[in-house]
Amino acid sequence: MTSPAAIVGVGATPYYFRGTSLPQTVYELIGKAVLMGVEDAGLGVDDVDGLTFFAYGFDTATIVEMLGMPQVTFAHVVGGYGAGMAGVLDLAAMAIETGRAKTVVCIGAGQQSANRYGQALGRLPSTPDNIFHQIAGLGGPGQAMALLTQRHMHKFGTRREAFGEIVIASRAAAFNRETAIRRKHLTMDDYMASPMLADPMCRLDFCLETDGALAFVVTSAERARDLKQKPVYISATAQVANRDWGRGFFWLGQSDEAFTSAGAAGVAERLRQTSGYDPKDIDVACIYDHFSPMVLMQLEDYGFCKKGEGGPFVQSGAIKLDGSIPINPHGGHLSEGYVTGMTHMREAVEQLRGQAVNQIAGAKRALVTGGPAPHPLTAAVLSNEP
Amino acid sequence: MTYPNGARSFTPDFAQLIVAMDQWSEPYWQAVGEHRLQFPRCGKCGTFRWPAGPFCYKCRSQEVEWVTAGQARIYSYTVLPVMGPDKDAPPQWRVPVVVEFDGIPDVRLVSVLVGAPLDALAIGDMLEPEWLAAENATVPGFRLAEEKA
Ligand SMILES: [Zn+2]
Repeated sequence: MTSPAAIVGVGATPYYFRGTSLPQTVYELIGKAVLMGVEDAGLGVDDVDGLTFFAYGFDTATIVEMLGMPQVTFAHVVGGYGAGMAGVLDLAAMAIETGRAKTVVCIGAGQQSANRYGQALGRLPSTPDNIFHQIAGLGGPGQAMALLTQRHMHKFGTRREAFGEIVIASRAAAFNRETAIRRKHLTMDDYMASPMLADPMCRLDFCLETDGALAFVVTSAERARDLKQKPVYISATAQVANRDWGRGFFWLGQSDEAFTSAGAAGVAERLRQTSGYDPKDIDVACIYDHFSPMVLMQLEDYGFCKKGEGGPFVQSGAIKLDGSIPINPHGGHLSEGYVTGMTHMREAVEQLRGQAVNQIAGAKRALVTGGPAPHPLTAAVLSNEP
Repeated sequence: MTYPNGARSFTPDFAQLIVAMDQWSEPYWQAVGEHRLQFPRCGKCGTFRWPAGPFCYKCRSQEVEWVTAGQARIYSYTVLPVMGPDKDAPPQWRVPVVVEFDGIPDVRLVSVLVGAPLDALAIGDMLEPEWLAAENATVPGFRLAEEKA
């Protein structure tokens, strides 16, 4: 099966430590990323006729007016907070495949000076459903993830050293990257000395909070071959919501099996059904790492190891740059920066163009995952072969 | 040893907390006011659902019957340091807990564990409710069962 659509341009602002992108507005950041993206593709703003977003998105009218897009005929949003991230490619490919648009720009951005994600739940007004979390004192996603993590450790014997390995591997990858915010070398002793924020998760298990914007230009595979960059084909995409994971980690009413997961088993299964996804075919995995234990559980959900064996798997060194399945060679959200997953998509594109800072030799296929959060959860497989 | 010797979780003050409820959750809160824990079961197929809501997710019936919960146990928990206004003072410790109950399959109550010894907690520990006063309702917290005896 050949891919109908390809990523042909990438634009990104610098990654700013939380709050330091001011006085630019988030729309200025988006504008800069879009202009860089179309330039990278060798196209112009006049060519853009589609926009896709996730996590409630941004205002189409503002972007169209601000950058003077002549006519946008497709503008859609995937839900699911960071879970919907990879779904922007699903929507873009759909627009191309159905002829609803010819050049789609997928946009993701964040500016946390006003709204810190880490306190997102604490800001919600009291409702009949969230009153229980207010009683518990659960104020942020990481605290809810800690409950899943605690049970994973109880059920499978997973150790904190495994989460430490994930953080250390992320930092090692970020070491030589100009774009990365946390680059200092890290040892297991450093990890173990990091203060507990939500037992069993310490400060280093929590990702950065970053301002920035990224834009990805998608067009048909056929047109992509005549453009400036080596095409990165959208081989497979999936977006899945199921009751097993339900309202997600904040709900805490997942099925017993899903409780100790990243909620991605259904997404992996959907990829298998629609495209024959097999983790053995993936050369590099860009795994949404807002919290390090969620990387481990995604490795299980996406089939890189068996359920419950994520701990020994990461402790074997498999996820390092020279391991059997290198994870986040850009340093990910834990070390490079956190723009709700879009930085992972950029790394996957750079890997498949052969332009990555930490290039995985011969990488042909990359997995990009949306973040464990309320469903729909999304993922994409990208390839430099049509 | 992760926590200071003998450290325990504190009991939050809910005096200012306004409990939001609707027609589906009100019977739960009424029972809590009488120091009872009960959960909604589908009146048609017997499947429990939580939080209390308008539909059974299995058969989509809107019928509900209320069932008294059995023994409570820790399904999962975390420990959060809570800093007061004085940033140099040691933190207090808050323990969000996910509670499961005998006889109420697939329902988990998200609550708070009070007075709990932080270094001696384990999933599966038996719990007893601790009734705490909120502004417009009673709120169920929990404490370790053995300790209360
Ligand atoms: Zn029913």
